[in-house]
Amino acid sequence: MFEKILIAGRGEIAVRIARTCREMGIRTVAVHSTADRDGAAARYADETVQIGPPQPRRSYMYAPSLIEAALRTSAEAVHPGYGFLSEDPDFARMCAENGLTLIGPGPDVMETIGDKARTRALLAAAGLPVLPGSAGAVASLAEAEEVAAEVGYPVIVKAVAGGGGRGIAVARDLGELRRVHRETTASARAMFGDGAVYLERYLPRARHLEVQVLCDGHGAVLHLGERDCSTQRRRQKLIEEAPAPGLAAEVRERLAEYAVTAAKTLRHSGLGTVEFLLDDSADGAGDVTFMEVNGRIQVEHPVTEMVTGLDLVREQIEVAAGRRLTLAQDDVRISGWAIECRINAEDADAGWRPAPGRLEVFRVPGGPGVRVDAGFEQGDTVPPYYDSMVAKLVVWAPDRAGAIARARRALDEFAVSGPGVVTTLPLLGRLLAHPAFVEARHHTAFVDERTEPGPSTGVPPPGDGAIPPDG
Amino acid sequence: MHDPATDWRERLRALREEIGGLVADLPGPVAALTVRVGDCSLEIAWGPPSAASERAAPPRDAPSETERDGDLRVCTAPLVGTFYVAPGPGEPPFVRVGDRVEKGQAVGVVEAMKLMNRVVAECSGEVVEVRAADGTPVEFGQELVFLRPDGGPEAGGA
Repeated sequence: MFEKILIAGRGEIAVRIARTCREMGIRTVAVHSTADRDGAAARYADETVQIGPPQPRRSYMYAPSLIEAALRTSAEAVHPGYGFLSEDPDFARMCAENGLTLIGPGPDVMETIGDKARTRALLAAAGLPVLPGSAGAVASLAEAEEVAAEVGYPVIVKAVAGGGGRGIAVARDLGELRRVHRETTASARAMFGDGAVYLERYLPRARHLEVQVLCDGHGAVLHLGERDCSTQRRRQKLIEEAPAPGLAAEVRERLAEYAVTAAKTLRHSGLGTVEFLLDDSADGAGDVTFMEVNGRIQVEHPVTEMVTGLDLVREQIEVAAGRRLTLAQDDVRISGWAIECRINAEDADAGWRPAPGRLEVFRVPGGPGVRVDAGFEQGDTVPPYYDSMVAKLVVWAPDRAGAIARARRALDEFAVSGPGVVTTLPLLGRLLAHPAFVEARHHTAFVDERTEPGPSTGVPPPGDGAIPPDG
Repeated sequence: MHDPATDWRERLRALREEIGGLVADLPGPVAALTVRVGDCSLEIAWGPPSAASERAAPPRDAPSETERDGDLRVCTAPLVGTFYVAPGPGEPPFVRVGDRVEKGQAVGVVEAMKLMNRVVAECSGEVVEVRAADGTPVEFGQELVFLRPDGGPEAGGA
């Protein structure tokens, strides 16, 4: 087993990784930018190295500094968390060249799943259902127009190198397609250094389901059940739960089967998430189509931990150290219900403007079945340079109704304030109380339809982003 | 191709880095040091901490490589790496205390991933302290060399 791991992330996931390492008797090195010098991650690690200025490109995403920090502190492995370099094959190769183990699926798998169009084609060939769309990346606007005419509008244009809900846009007609194709290509080039895009039919009111898989380097593949991440705002998840509500047993089994097939086809190792869309249907037996695969630990991993009792970070580390999975599929039992709410420093009632600042009050909830994963403590300052997530509230209860009640109670206990700080706490409370959520009739456009003028195509929302108490 | 000379140089260099790191961690200035590699032995003695030898905390914020420290300016590490006072082993140092430097002149290098990154003076002036020891690991923003700018604290450009 590793004696020391460098954590190449920041915020709550860095704290999360440090905690498991402490339990495993593994020493940790936290890297931080000047903006995170007093961040919580540094307090939970055994050592710290300041790696650069606030800009991620010169700190958390600057591979040479991370490698240098790992070598200098004699770390044997690097845990990339999520975001930053967590899915960068070049970083994975650089780690390997320097004798460091990157805790992840390895550069070749990263390369494959980083190309969304190629993965889609590979898995379609392996028998997974995919939405009608282009066979791979479209070579030109003319080809995009052809594909759109064939599959029918609305279509969704996605960056091949995209991820995290970025580099995606919807086109409802030819005029929109021309604009969207141009814009997505340009923004994908700017964001991911690769302007290639592909097309799929767009399902406006589908549910976003994903299956957690866990694989070792010896060919064993397990699935750890599914999560429902349908409560989103412009493709950014707000609330996630496990298991998915109102799913027919047959659909649940099919999802798991597809996910295992995907992992085996891609020769995945470590943790992976296979994402699907479930076409809107009242009985939960609608059509399932494959979307994409992620090879990192995900923000919403705690809901799976709560219903399986597993520590996914520990599993990742064990697999990266070359160990075989000790679990068999029959050992994985889904028990009870878990819900996660992402608490962001954003003002949902003012166009979701980021509202970071000093957390003068940061009072976390407690009591039965409540877990808070945070990268901050009272008195800390949320820096403006990174994502706006302040904390994740995760609750567990024996059933969904109990979990909703518990999440609402815990949100009421959660107090976060400071000069200029506004959080999504009130909005999360309103969403959990919304009949559509309570009755599991929500879908990926549910929030946008209620907070944005017209369809969610990137139009700035109005000043009032309130979710009304009914309907 | 195995060149024994290179091998030795590599070993010496590794040793130098190790010792540099060790010395940097001492609570006081090093007084005596004995190292033997065959059968490993190490003896080290140090004196009481002095203000100048305490390991510098990185500045509060490092927007540039030059900071104010009273009427002094400090050149900080541009990235994580190993600080060297000279361009190569056995070569004279870039600067010594008391030297005059011109704006843009190298006052040291930080080696990271086998690349040498020059640390340059952002103002002309006199070197008053080389705070980081040769061959020691440095973090981004760590204080390396202190300069007294020409013509007082307001000179030399902010």
